[in-house]
Amino acid sequence: MLPCLLVVLCLLIYPLASTVMYSFTNKTLIRPSFKTVGLDNYIKILTDPEFIRAFVTTIGWTFCSLLGQIVIGFTGALALNKIQNPITKPFYRICMIIPWAFPSVAIALTWKWMLNGIQGYIPTVLMNLGLTEGMLQFLSDPKLVMPTLVFINIWFGAPMIMVNVYAALQTVPQDQYEAAVIDGATAWQSFLHITVPHIKVVVGLLVVLRTIWVFNNFDIIYMTTAGGPAGLSTTMPIYIYNLGWTSKLVGRASAASILLLIFLILVCLIYFYVIARWEKEEK
Amino acid sequence: MKRALSMILAASAAATTLAGCGSPSSPDTADQASTSVLKGEITFWHSFTQGARMEAVQSAADRFMQEHPEVKINIETYSWGDFNTKWNAGLTTGDLPDMSTAQNTGEVVEMLNADVLQSVDDMVDQIGRDRFSANALADMSVDGATYGVPYYSHAQVMWYREDMLKAANLKVPATWNEFYDAAVALTKDGTFGAAFSCSPNDLLCTRYLNYYVRSAGGSLLNDDLTANLTSPEAIDGINFWLKVYKDCSPAETINYTVNDHATLFYQGKTAFDFNSGFMIGGVQSNTPDAVPYVKCAPLPRLNADDKVYSAEATHIPLVVWKDSKHPEICKAFIEFLYQDDNYIDFIHSVPVGMLPSLTDVASNEAYLNNETIQQFTDSVKTIQTAVDTGHAIGFEHGPTAQASYLTSQGVIENMFQDIITNGTDVKTAAKAAEDQLNDIFDTMIG
Repeated sequence: MLPCLLVVLCLLIYPLASTVMYSFTNKTLIRPSFKTVGLDNYIKILTDPEFIRAFVTTIGWTFCSLLGQIVIGFTGALALNKIQNPITKPFYRICMIIPWAFPSVAIALTWKWMLNGIQGYIPTVLMNLGLTEGMLQFLSDPKLVMPTLVFINIWFGAPMIMVNVYAALQTVPQDQYEAAVIDGATAWQSFLHITVPHIKVVVGLLVVLRTIWVFNNFDIIYMTTAGGPAGLSTTMPIYIYNLGWTSKLVGRASAASILLLIFLILVCLIYFYVIARWEKEEK
Repeated sequence: MKRALSMILAASAAATTLAGCGSPSSPDTADQASTSVLKGEITFWHSFTQGARMEAVQSAADRFMQEHPEVKINIETYSWGDFNTKWNAGLTTGDLPDMSTAQNTGEVVEMLNADVLQSVDDMVDQIGRDRFSANALADMSVDGATYGVPYYSHAQVMWYREDMLKAANLKVPATWNEFYDAAVALTKDGTFGAAFSCSPNDLLCTRYLNYYVRSAGGSLLNDDLTANLTSPEAIDGINFWLKVYKDCSPAETINYTVNDHATLFYQGKTAFDFNSGFMIGGVQSNTPDAVPYVKCAPLPRLNADDKVYSAEATHIPLVVWKDSKHPEICKAFIEFLYQDDNYIDFIHSVPVGMLPSLTDVASNEAYLNNETIQQFTDSVKTIQTAVDTGHAIGFEHGPTAQASYLTSQGVIENMFQDIITNGTDVKTAAKAAEDQLNDIFDTMIG
């Protein structure tokens, strides 16, 4: 009981309580003394156009990344599930999980190098093939930067969805598919009425986890564009990092963190409500 | 007034600390330190993460510990960026070193603003105050007390590829207009005249804008230490660098930091760059064949008949932290680092990149007896002149926290990104950035 309480106190209550406390102060990184400023930090954050833009960017980044990861991960899992060959199956499984196995810093730097607009491999190939007039500026063109980052994140995260969905697919009883075939069900009907009900709770939980992870993702974007150009790829974690470590405004960064936390709690509550309903329906 | 008072208090506290160390076992002056038995353990944070420099410092520390068996020096290495984060966090957690380097004189002022340094005047006198450049010490002195000692120096000059200029029948530019014309002429076949990089995680836009503004006789700070980005010189400077970005620079550099930026020159992708003597080491390791064609010249001027000027000189300081339990060891060790053999050994780890901050060492035979220094004698002279006559960015008004925040917040870099990406009007963007900087000054300095 006591060790558990200590762990909760040290790892959850203290950081959370100190962040809440600092969010009502004018604490900076370079001065130990600070004073209470009430809701000043929250007002400044909520009226800061950069915050609004970072928040909207984060929603778009999370939604598009998650959608892409689920579609590709799900498709990959279904394809993998269809493979019967005992030699090729593990080979494909390993190949498809590789992106997830790399450290995100290595992934960010590798993509940054491949997409470099001066001598990157991908823009050079596209130009040499005559598909583009000049070198495409994937990471500095305002129209391309976010789609490019989302693509990298989908490439990185889809394997994780795939492995989990694939594991869930293994739990679907095969006799139900056989019975459906005998009853004359189409493949789509089997998928909709047998596969989906069996795996939707697992997928739902995956979506919850991935939403939190993608929403809070920092390293891929920071290492690739650092939030630029002109803040176009600045998501909430980068916005908070810049407030706390570049501007050294700990109080304001804490307020932004609390707002982010509240939003994520609300999102999770909605997700959990939906999942609970699914579970209830199953019973 | 408040700041002056805090400085006086800081100086008194430092004096009290030193007085408190006045027992036979912990002498209060560096002179006594060298003759008494030193005993204790200190932590030294430095940012020399490159092999040769790190080894030179470690080797000096090992020799010092051999000479003083009861002393232990724990060295911790952090990159420049991490170092700032580390000591900022340390103000809250108390995890701070006894002595450290600082990224530049601006960071010393930031540290003074946080009231964490102690005066090192006694140590400077011991090493020899007149051996240092007066400008270097002035950049680390506040209210008559010196809070850092320059370990090495460098300054910003214009680097160019002589072979590219000759092939295009161009002369070395002396003015900004000549520079622009030459850069445009050299932008062809996958090579760019010059890069203009705007990552808010670095200070390149501030640095470049400062060159232009200083060449026009202006400053990025007003006399009352508020930001000045809307002066005619600053607006002209912003427009000039936007023109360079548009006509001579790879678009990708909008997100580049100083390392990415310099690598373009190292690899021969750009014909011009502005940097210190560290450029040579980069070219040596990336394109050794190009080394004979790498030359430097003073920064371009506004008009050909304007005086040669220095827009930015950097002195990398060693500082002793206020809460150090063993300032006497720190000071004795720093003095040890400045002994000729140790010092030259360190400076030779990045020849030309690091110029000696001790004026007499610059003419020392042992120092000059280095292949790279001999090969780049002219470049060394050009950089040395810029070191001797220049100050850090914004330090033309003396060492102030405003000058430090001018370069560390990425505000000017964000302004350039905004103009380039969103097409924001130059004057509007300059005014917004100026207001933002003044807001930061008010919040951080008070």
